[in-house]
Amino acid sequence: MAHNGNDPARTPSGPTLLLQDVVKTYVMGADTVHALRGVSLSIDRNEYVAVMGPSGSGKSTLMNVIGCLDVPTSGTYSLEGQMVAEMSEYQLADIRNQRIGFVFQTFNLIPRSNIFHNVELPLIYAGVPKTERRGRVVEAIERVGLADRMKHKPNELSGGQRQRVAIARALVGRPSIILADEPTGNLDSKTGDEIMAILDELHSGGQTIILVTHEDYIAEHALRAIRLRDGVIESDTESRRRVGHAN
Amino acid sequence: MRLSVDLGESFQIALRALRANKARATLTTLGIIIGIVAVILTMTAANGLQRAFRQSFSSVGTDVIYVSRMPWIVMNDFFLYRNRPRLELRQAEALAHKLQGKAIVNPTIDNQLDVKYRAETMEGVTIIGTTEKQTQVASAQPETGRFLTEFDVSRRKDVCVIGTDIQKGLFGSANPINQEMKIGRTTFRVIGVMEKQGGSFLGGPNFDRQIFIPISSYVKAFGGDRGRQDVNVSVKAPSQEAVSNLEFEVIGEMRKIRHLRPSEPDNFSLNKLDTLVGAFNNVMGVVLLVGLLVTSISLFVGGVGVMNIMFVSVTERTREIGIRKAIGAKPHSILFQFLFESASICLTGGIIGIAFASILTAVINAVLMPASVSVTILGTAVAVSIAVGVVAGFVPAYKGARLNPIEALRYE
Repeated sequence: MAHNGNDPARTPSGPTLLLQDVVKTYVMGADTVHALRGVSLSIDRNEYVAVMGPSGSGKSTLMNVIGCLDVPTSGTYSLEGQMVAEMSEYQLADIRNQRIGFVFQTFNLIPRSNIFHNVELPLIYAGVPKTERRGRVVEAIERVGLADRMKHKPNELSGGQRQRVAIARALVGRPSIILADEPTGNLDSKTGDEIMAILDELHSGGQTIILVTHEDYIAEHALRAIRLRDGVIESDTESRRRVGHAN
Repeated sequence: MRLSVDLGESFQIALRALRANKARATLTTLGIIIGIVAVILTMTAANGLQRAFRQSFSSVGTDVIYVSRMPWIVMNDFFLYRNRPRLELRQAEALAHKLQGKAIVNPTIDNQLDVKYRAETMEGVTIIGTTEKQTQVASAQPETGRFLTEFDVSRRKDVCVIGTDIQKGLFGSANPINQEMKIGRTTFRVIGVMEKQGGSFLGGPNFDRQIFIPISSYVKAFGGDRGRQDVNVSVKAPSQEAVSNLEFEVIGEMRKIRHLRPSEPDNFSLNKLDTLVGAFNNVMGVVLLVGLLVTSISLFVGGVGVMNIMFVSVTERTREIGIRKAIGAKPHSILFQFLFESASICLTGGIIGIAFASILTAVINAVLMPASVSVTILGTAVAVSIAVGVVAGFVPAYKGARLNPIEALRYE
């Protein structure tokens, strides 16, 4: 089932994501941390980008800014033509809800709710009426192959299954970009491969994916690698085009 | 539209969280339960007292002045009245003469005597010597038979009108009319039975356990001026508005009749229903105050407990709040979610409290006085529970709503 995460009606021509001279500075106790010192990049629709860098490079901060969990201290960030940097907390919540799909390293599912409800949650916050919700939730869960576990709770699932639920939740709102932060970090290599296969498939279906990782072999699934060091972009390279998942 | 969706879903989310932690939620509600029981019992007690009061004193007229030696409500100031001279029958008759045409005057004498009918005896029954004006001055009327007439009084007939308790106690299901019974050592013939007036109000007079006889017959059988009983005089005004003027006149006349010098204070009392109502309202005031105090303290304690638990709940779910915010929850969604949780906890406690209080009310109703839990009281209890929940849960919920999602997601 083809999944086009980007509704043409809301994407004007131009990059999906555009950062210009983004600086992020924050104060921690007595120290001032310059996490990002002027990052500019542009990501188009249906790109598959890996963001890499050692700890302290600012890649987590960059991910938070891209994911609208945080706003830049200076510089601009436009997502599908909308200037995000000037938005209020209220508006940012809407952006996170409808434009961005998060996949975290630690899965971050709501422990006391079942799978169906976990995947349903973004739609609830979006105000989607109940009748429409059901169809979309089931579709997303089937997409990741967990239709038979819909009423289970997260603690009844394996790590790989939980991450699949997280992907379903990220997909259900039909986001512009999927932001995966070390998605295989808590999984064994075989399960990790399965998860990456799903992401690859989503990309083939038209989804824009941004992957944050420190592992080269994970980054190789993507088609572009941006390396950060000390708060600036060190390199930005296109990978070889890959056919299948053979390594 | 968005807001109502949020409300409904937040409620569901709250219920889900509650069900997951039933034990903790139940313990927290203990303070609330006690508070709600206190609220309900205070209100039912107040209601019941008011009803019982009105019922018991419905026969005391609002436009009647009762002249007697002592005031009705005597507490620590008994010594002030102890030395007052008696009200005498001839004084009452003098007052009646003076007020002729302006008011209805009815003198009465009363005492407690034993009464007998065949094998049945009732002890300490209030015997009231009165005139035919009794039924004009008080609202109670005979239900069967008839009341005393002017003829009975002038001829000093040995006839009596009995209250429903007397009928039940002496005659059972038999018809008492025209039967002869003994009051003290004198035989009287029953000519009527008074209508039921409602039981005694917390130890006050039981209007159903009385017997009316002509005042002249009373004097004949038990001694009037020769005896030591007090005479009471009921003075009924022609209208409600005339009462205050009538009061002045009665005081003036009584002072003359009892030969009081201008400098001397009154040595008699004028009592009105107002006096009783005033005293009653004082009692009610105390009941309500005590009730309110107990309620406030318990609800405060309960509320603090709920607030505590909500802080724990918010802290425990810091990560979860971060997740929800990351996927698009706005601060007000988080706020409502936790407010609903704390309101639900308190509502549950409230419902349990209502159940307990209903049982207690039924016990009070059976043992002490008429009491019931009305719909208003139920509604108030529910509203109070929810209000406590919202107030107690607000600060923790607000703190949760204001969490920074990035930091919240990092929380272990």
